[in-house]
Amino acid sequence: MNAGVSTGTENALELRGMSKRFGALAAISDVELTVRPGERRAVLGSNGAGKTTLFNCITGDFPPSEGSIRFFGEDVTAFPAQERIRRGLRRTYQISLLFTGLSVIDNVYLACLGVSRGRFSFARARKSDALVASAEELIQTVNLWEARDTLVSNLSYGQQRQLEIAMALSGAPRFILFDEPAAGLSPTERRELIDILTGLPSHMGYIIIEHDMDVALRVSEYVTMMHNGRIFKEGKPAEIEEDPEVQALYLGGDDH
Amino acid sequence: MAMPEITDGGGARPSVRQEDRLWIERIPAPYWVAGVILLIIPAFASDFIMFQIFGWTFILGMIATSLMFLGGYGGMVSLAQMSFAGVAGYMVAIFGDSAIDTISMGWPWYITIPLALMIAVLFATLIGWLAVRTEGIYTIMITLAIAAAFFYFTRQNYDIFNGFQGFNSVFPPQLFGVDWRRPIPFYYLTLFWATVTYFAVLYVSRAPFGLALQGVRDNPRRMAALGFNVTAHRVAAYAFSALIAGMGGILLTWQSAQISPGTVGIQPAIDILIIAVVGGMRHPVGAFIGAFLYVILKTFAVDFLIAVGLSGDRFQLLIGLGFLLVVFFSEDGLLGLWEKLRASRNRDPLTGEVRQ
Amino acid sequence: MRAFAARHPIWSAILGAFALILLYLIFAIWPEWLVDGIGRKKVFLNALFNGITLGGLYFLVASGFTLIFGLMRNVNLAHGSLYLLGGYIGFFIADSTGLWLLAFPVAFIVVGVLGVFLQITVFRRMEGQDLRQTLVTIGISIVMADLMLWGVGGDFYNITPPRWLSGPFETGLVTSQRVRSSGEVVTSYLKYPSVRIVIFAASLVIGLAMWLVLNRTRIGMLIRAGVDDRDMLSATGARIQLVFVGVFFFGAGLAGLAGVVGATFQSAAPGEDIRFLLASLVVVIVGGMGSIPGAALGALLIGCAEQFGSVYFPTYAVVLTFLIMVAVLAFRPQGLLGRS
Repeated sequence: MNAGVSTGTENALELRGMSKRFGALAAISDVELTVRPGERRAVLGSNGAGKTTLFNCITGDFPPSEGSIRFFGEDVTAFPAQERIRRGLRRTYQISLLFTGLSVIDNVYLACLGVSRGRFSFARARKSDALVASAEELIQTVNLWEARDTLVSNLSYGQQRQLEIAMALSGAPRFILFDEPAAGLSPTERRELIDILTGLPSHMGYIIIEHDMDVALRVSEYVTMMHNGRIFKEGKPAEIEEDPEVQALYLGGDDH
Repeated sequence: MAMPEITDGGGARPSVRQEDRLWIERIPAPYWVAGVILLIIPAFASDFIMFQIFGWTFILGMIATSLMFLGGYGGMVSLAQMSFAGVAGYMVAIFGDSAIDTISMGWPWYITIPLALMIAVLFATLIGWLAVRTEGIYTIMITLAIAAAFFYFTRQNYDIFNGFQGFNSVFPPQLFGVDWRRPIPFYYLTLFWATVTYFAVLYVSRAPFGLALQGVRDNPRRMAALGFNVTAHRVAAYAFSALIAGMGGILLTWQSAQISPGTVGIQPAIDILIIAVVGGMRHPVGAFIGAFLYVILKTFAVDFLIAVGLSGDRFQLLIGLGFLLVVFFSEDGLLGLWEKLRASRNRDPLTGEVRQ
Repeated sequence: MRAFAARHPIWSAILGAFALILLYLIFAIWPEWLVDGIGRKKVFLNALFNGITLGGLYFLVASGFTLIFGLMRNVNLAHGSLYLLGGYIGFFIADSTGLWLLAFPVAFIVVGVLGVFLQITVFRRMEGQDLRQTLVTIGISIVMADLMLWGVGGDFYNITPPRWLSGPFETGLVTSQRVRSSGEVVTSYLKYPSVRIVIFAASLVIGLAMWLVLNRTRIGMLIRAGVDDRDMLSATGARIQLVFVGVFFFGAGLAGLAGVVGATFQSAAPGEDIRFLLASLVVVIVGGMGSIPGAALGALLIGCAEQFGSVYFPTYAVVLTFLIMVAVLAFRPQGLLGRS
C-alpha cells in the first residue's frame, strides 16, 4: 500500500502541534508524539486526560482542530477515517461499537472486507474465499472459535473485547491503537490478552491506553503520560514507575 | 432501526459458511408450495385476476422491494422510489414507441430498456448523493420533496415529458412472436421478474455489499473505522434500488400502456411506502404481501364500502386507517405481527418459556 | 452580524450588493433600458410584494412544523392537513358569524387542541421511534384528507375579508412616470391589497413574539435547551411532557391560524394540504431544521422564488423552489441557518 510514498524509514506516527477543542473546552492541546515503526507504546493518564480524544484524532473519527498527522511519512491530516484505515491503521473502541445483530464471524468478515477490494462486491463469499479464511484465522487467534456463529449480542463482555481485537488485526495492519482493551476482563482473560499482544509480529507497532499498570508496563517498551490534554512525561516503563512526579500524580495511593 | 434477529435467510446465519447439500435440497418447503401455486394459477384464474390482480401485485411488489432494500438493509426510508420507477417508464416511452410520435424515438427494445434502466440508476445516484448528505429521519422529508419536484417537472415539461398528458400506447415488444400484454404472457413475465428481484435482493443481502450496507445501517462510525466509505455505500444502495424500481416502472408502464405525471405523483409515492411498511421491511417477502393486500383492497374496496353502507369514494379512508392500525400495533408490519404470533405459540402457556 | 461579516467577507459583499440593487429596484424610477430588459416596474413590485406576503404565510405554517421537529424530532407529515382544517374552520366561522377576526382564535384553538390530542394519544406512545411517528403522521394525513373531503366536498372555499380591509392600499412607491405631450408629468403609484399587508404585518408580529418568547422567557429557554439537548431537558426534571404538549398545541394551532390566512389569500380546497406540507418541508430544509429564524429566511426565499418564477419564467416556477432546495442540500446540507 502506497509503497511509493513510504520507504519504511519514516516514523510510524508523527503528531505535530495537535489540538482538539469542543467549544471552549480543550480536550487535547499541542500534542507532539513520535512513534517508530514496530514500537509498542503505552499512553497513561487519568480519566479526561484526553487519551481517547487523541485516538479519535489519529484515526479520523473526528478531525483535530489544529496540527498535523503523518502516518508512515504520509500526511493523512485531511484524510477521512476509511482512507487512514486502508493505509494500515487500526483501532479498538473502549465502548463497544460492534454489530450486535451479526454473528462473530460476520463481524470479523466485515472488518477484513473493509480493507479489501471487494467492498462493493455483489457476489457472495464462498467457503474457499481468502477473506473467509483470514477471518477464521483471526477468530482462532483471539480464542473465539467456539463462539464463531454466536450473535454478538449474546457474547460475554470479555468475548466482545476479544472480538474488538480480532477486528483490529484484520487485513495487514501496520499500526494499531488499543483503547483500554483490558478493562472489565477477568484475570484469565487478561493473561490471554497479554499473550496476544506480546505475540504480535514484531513489525506491528501499537499504542495502548491502559489503566491497569500491570498490563500496560508488560506490553509496552515506552510510556507517555498525559495530563489535562497535554503530554506530561515520556520514558521507559521503569523510569516512569520510578519518577516521583508521576508517582505523586497517578501511582501513589491509586490502586485500582 | 435496529435489527436484532431475522427469521429467514437473514443476519443471524453465518454468511460465509455454506452447508454441503445440493442447492435443490436446501430450498425450504414453503418455497416449493408457493412456486407450484404461482406457476399453475393461470390454469384456473380469469384474465382479470392474472393481469390486474397478480400482474399488478408483482409490479408494485418489485417497486416496494426496492424501498424494502433501501429501508430494511440500508436504514434509509425513501419516498422517491416511485420517481425512479417513473424515470425508467418515461424513458421507455420516450426512446421507444408511443402514440406521441413527435417525441418518441421508436428505438428497438434492446436499446431502450437498458438505456431506461441506466438513466433511472443515474438519476437515483444523484438523488441518493443529495439525500445521504443528511441522516435518519431527514431522508423521508428530502425524498418526499424530490418526488414532488419530479412530479411537477413532468407535468410542466412538454418538450420531453409531454406535460400533463404523458405518453399513451406504450406497449411491450412482440418478442418471440408473443404479445406480452395478453394476460397469460404478462402474468409469467411479471412473475419472472418479481422472482428475479426477490432472490436478487436476498442474495445481495448476504453478499459483501449487502452485509456492509447492514453494517452501515447499524453503525456508520464503526464502518468508517473498518475502512468502508459510508457515503459511497449508501449512494450505491440507492443506485441498486433504482435498478429494481426501474424494472418495476417499465412493467407498470406496459401494464397500463401509458405513463403520465399521475403515475409518479405524491399519492403513488406514499402508496409504495404504505405497501412496504404494511408488509414489513425486514424481508423482501413483506413487499409482495403488502402489494397483494393493496391491490386486493384497491380492486374490491368499492364493493366492500358499499356493502357496509359507505360511498365507494372512501377508499383512501380505508387505506389510511388500515395503515394506521398496522403501524400502531407492529413495528415491522404484518411480518412483525406474524413473528409475534409465532413466538407466542412457541411459548409454553403455563411457564411462559420458549419451547425448544 | 458583524461576526458574520468578519468571517465571510465575500459573502457579506455579495449580500450587500444584492441589497443595494434591490433597494434601487424598489425606489428608483426605472429607466427605459431596464423596462425593456425585464418588463414594467409594476409587475416587478407586485411579484416582490406577493413573494414577501406569501413568505409570511409560509412562515406561519413552517414555523409550527420546525418548532415541533426541533423539540421532538417528529416530522409531522400531517401538518398540511392541520393547515387545511384551519382553513375550513375559518371559512365556516367567518361565513356563519360574519366575523373574520373571530375565525383566527377559533381555528387556532380547535386545531391546537387536535394537536394536543394527537400528541397524547399517538406520539407519547411512540417516544423515540422517529420513523414510526412519521409513518403514523402519514396515515393521519391520509385519513384527515379523506374525512375533510367527505365533510365539505371538493369545492373551493374562499374567505372574504371584511370591508375595511378589502380595498387597495396606497404604498407611495412610484411604479412609472410619464411625460404627456402637454408637458404634464403623470406619476403612478403602486396599489396593493390592504388585507395582504395587514396579514403580513401580523405574521411579522407573531414571528417576533415567538422569537422573544424563545429567547427571553424561562419557558423559552427550556424549549431551546430541549432543542439543543433533549436528554438534558429530561435530566433537569422539567416537566418535559407538559412542554411537549404546549409546543404541540402552539405548533398545530399556528398551522390552523395559517389555514385561515391561506383561505383568505387564496382558498381552502383538497390538495392544499399537500401543497403547504411540501412548502413547509422545503422551507425548513432550506432554512435549517428546527430553527425559527431559518424558517423565516427560508419562507421569504421560497415565497419570492415562487412569485418571481411565476412572473418571469412561468413554465418552471414550481421547479425553481426545488432547485433552491437541491442547491442548499448540495452545499449546506444542514440548511442556511441550521447547525451542523
